[in-house]
Amino acid sequence: MSIEEEVKEIVSGIVHVDKNLMARESTFKDLKADSLDIVQALVAIEDKYDIEIPDEEAQKFQNFGDFISFVEKKVQEGKS
Amino acid sequence: MSSRNRLALVTGSGRGIGRAIALKLASKGVDIVVDFFRRRAAAEETARDIEALGVKAHVIRANMADAAKIDEMFDEIASKFGYLDILINNAASGVGRPVMDIDIKAWNWTMDINARAALLCSQRAARLMEEQGGKIVNISSLGSTFVWPTYAVVGISKATLEALTRYLAIELGPRGICVNAVSASAVDTEALRFYIAEGLITDTRQATPAGRMVTPEDVANVVAFLCSEEASMIRGQTLIVDGGTSVAPFPKMEGKEQ
Repeated sequence: MSIEEEVKEIVSGIVHVDKNLMARESTFKDLKADSLDIVQALVAIEDKYDIEIPDEEAQKFQNFGDFISFVEKKVQEGKS
Repeated sequence: MSSRNRLALVTGSGRGIGRAIALKLASKGVDIVVDFFRRRAAAEETARDIEALGVKAHVIRANMADAAKIDEMFDEIASKFGYLDILINNAASGVGRPVMDIDIKAWNWTMDINARAALLCSQRAARLMEEQGGKIVNISSLGSTFVWPTYAVVGISKATLEALTRYLAIELGPRGICVNAVSASAVDTEALRFYIAEGLITDTRQATPAGRMVTPEDVANVVAFLCSEEASMIRGQTLIVDGGTSVAPFPKMEGKEQ
């Protein structure tokens, strides 16, 4: 499973949204995610990949695609 | 007791009040387990500052909302040290909403981190204190007693924490474990500045009879006292550190002399 698929799987479990309805262009608002959903999603992703997503970075995400790209970049950095 | 340093676990000690408590205890010669959740760099900086005081620091990441992670943290402390002398239940989180907007998720998240984690940590810590006794201090806030806007679920969790403090104090007292809480008003931390507007910080400062806001160090000083033998007959209490705010609810009211 790709990182994008795994992230979708985790976030859909927290926000209770069908993962097939989650696009890279979707915003957390589109997904009806509240601030706690976002924190729980960040924590779940941090735990899954053993990475850190600072709140200051998370606030810059314009949409779900930004979030996935950030996670992909961090995971790559961790491997190199 | 051997000549080893005492060992303290301070949950949420990467930043803010937890960091100040960790440094204060370290300055008294206590080795510290620095627990953090989301900011490793801050925790590692706290650990370096602790080591600069001449004691040991050990960094552990744990999600206080997850009972299994709390168990893992204590398994690590048990295998690395085999004892614990002081537990500071400081880690906290919360969702700022009016009572009518609190849903089950927000309730559980806040209660799990602010109250349930303190129970689970205390249960595990008490076993590591069995031989030598110990101190447990829970960090509460005045929102447990007073109503602050959008603070409902956090305030309720802190009230639970204070009740837990009393029950633990009585049940663990015969085992040589002293349990108390420290309750602070709004403390000038990065977290506070993240959540409330600068105007409210000025209002809080002006409304505090002591003439300034409570600092993390003010809280840490009282925690260190409760961890000392001088405080050993204080049990199950919640000590308030608020610069007098709670006993002067109308600071600007002028009386009429007769």
